[in-house]
Amino acid sequence: MAKTSKASYQAMANELNDILLELQAEDLDIDTAVKQYERGLELIKELETYLKSAENTVSKLKAKFSD
Amino acid sequence: MQTPSEIELSVSEFVALLNQTLEYAYPSVVITGELANLRVSKGKWLYFDLKDEQSTVKFFGTVYMLPGPLEDGMLVRVRGVPRLHNLYGFSVNVMSIQPAGEGSIRKAADLLAHKLEAEGLFDPARKRNLPYPPERIGLITSGQSAAYADFIKILNARWGGVVVQLIDVQVQGEVAPQQIVGAIEQFNELQETPDVLVLIRGGGSAEDLAAFSTEQVTRAVAASRVPTLVAIGHEVDISLAELAADQRASTPSNAAELLTPDKRHELALTKDYRRSLTQLMQTRLQSGKTELKHASLQLSQIVSGLLKHGRTHLSGQLQLLSALSPAAVLTRGYAIVRRDGKIVRSGLGLEPGAIVNVEVVDAELEATVTKLERKSSGKNK
Repeated sequence: MAKTSKASYQAMANELNDILLELQAEDLDIDTAVKQYERGLELIKELETYLKSAENTVSKLKAKFSD
Repeated sequence: MQTPSEIELSVSEFVALLNQTLEYAYPSVVITGELANLRVSKGKWLYFDLKDEQSTVKFFGTVYMLPGPLEDGMLVRVRGVPRLHNLYGFSVNVMSIQPAGEGSIRKAADLLAHKLEAEGLFDPARKRNLPYPPERIGLITSGQSAAYADFIKILNARWGGVVVQLIDVQVQGEVAPQQIVGAIEQFNELQETPDVLVLIRGGGSAEDLAAFSTEQVTRAVAASRVPTLVAIGHEVDISLAELAADQRASTPSNAAELLTPDKRHELALTKDYRRSLTQLMQTRLQSGKTELKHASLQLSQIVSGLLKHGRTHLSGQLQLLSALSPAAVLTRGYAIVRRDGKIVRSGLGLEPGAIVNVEVVDAELEATVTKLERKSSGKNK
């Protein structure tokens, strides 16, 4: 299984959306804007890595009724 | 007369012997026939007959054997054990009952659907949202089926990082309902339950799909604490389990599509995100530059205003200063009289013959006092 879990994919996607919204605020100071921009790029890279490399795993659970 | 092979028995012995023989010869039988005289006693005991054109046989069991509501006239397949009861005579003790034939299966499903609908099992208000995309999937199907292969294939093509746990069950036949219910319960009892339960089966005849319209499977789906997605057969087949599920998919492949986004689409989205992010940052920088320009303009305006004000103030001071300067007084016709370099403020100390210097606006004169007359109002009088 890929290092990044599905939950954190969703969490990263949500964080990215928040950043995009925050960058649209007019009163955002430029230092924060630069930090958020860099974080956004980082998140996009991680999302892309996840999408390109994550694989599913399938395992069989022993059925209780077969005991 | 009793032949050597004949044995004489009491009634009870005969009943016991016959049951022993039946049990040996027919541990169980499967009989298909038309249902008649169906009745339930005390909410628990089940009595009915199966008949065809020539014969009728009595059956006895409990209501728990019922796949759902049944009606006289329906064709059913019953598995049971033939027994001779010591008081009530011959009957088949029921182990399972299933509707048989398309018509009966549909009829049984309709009856059950009405009953369960009245109980609110299919109520849209009960439906929960499925996690999108799920992290863990509990999959209930036959591990050998095309449905399983299709589901996994589409899931792998669309998304990654999902943990799929499979409980391999029979999806048709007599044991199917019990196994499916067992699997649903087992997933619900796990310490770490999956995010979603997926129950799938490929297409088949109404009889093949019957397990998914039984009361026990439908109730187990409705009772699952883990949200459920059920896809049985093709688009046109709708089982009761699908109606009770939180979400229905038309096929097993469609189930995988409903559960996950397409990673190709998501990848394309990340490109959009990158573009938006850069654009927003550029806009922010641009507005920062504009703000700076504006601020510097404001600053220079303020400074030049201050300078102007300073200059005005200064020129006023200069005017005042020049008005007060002795030179200005001289231009108005006054003269300064000095004696030995000291200003003469009073006639005291002066006498006729004294030599004084007189400064007028444009010359200095040396003069001799020829006459001195004191003013009577002079303060030094």
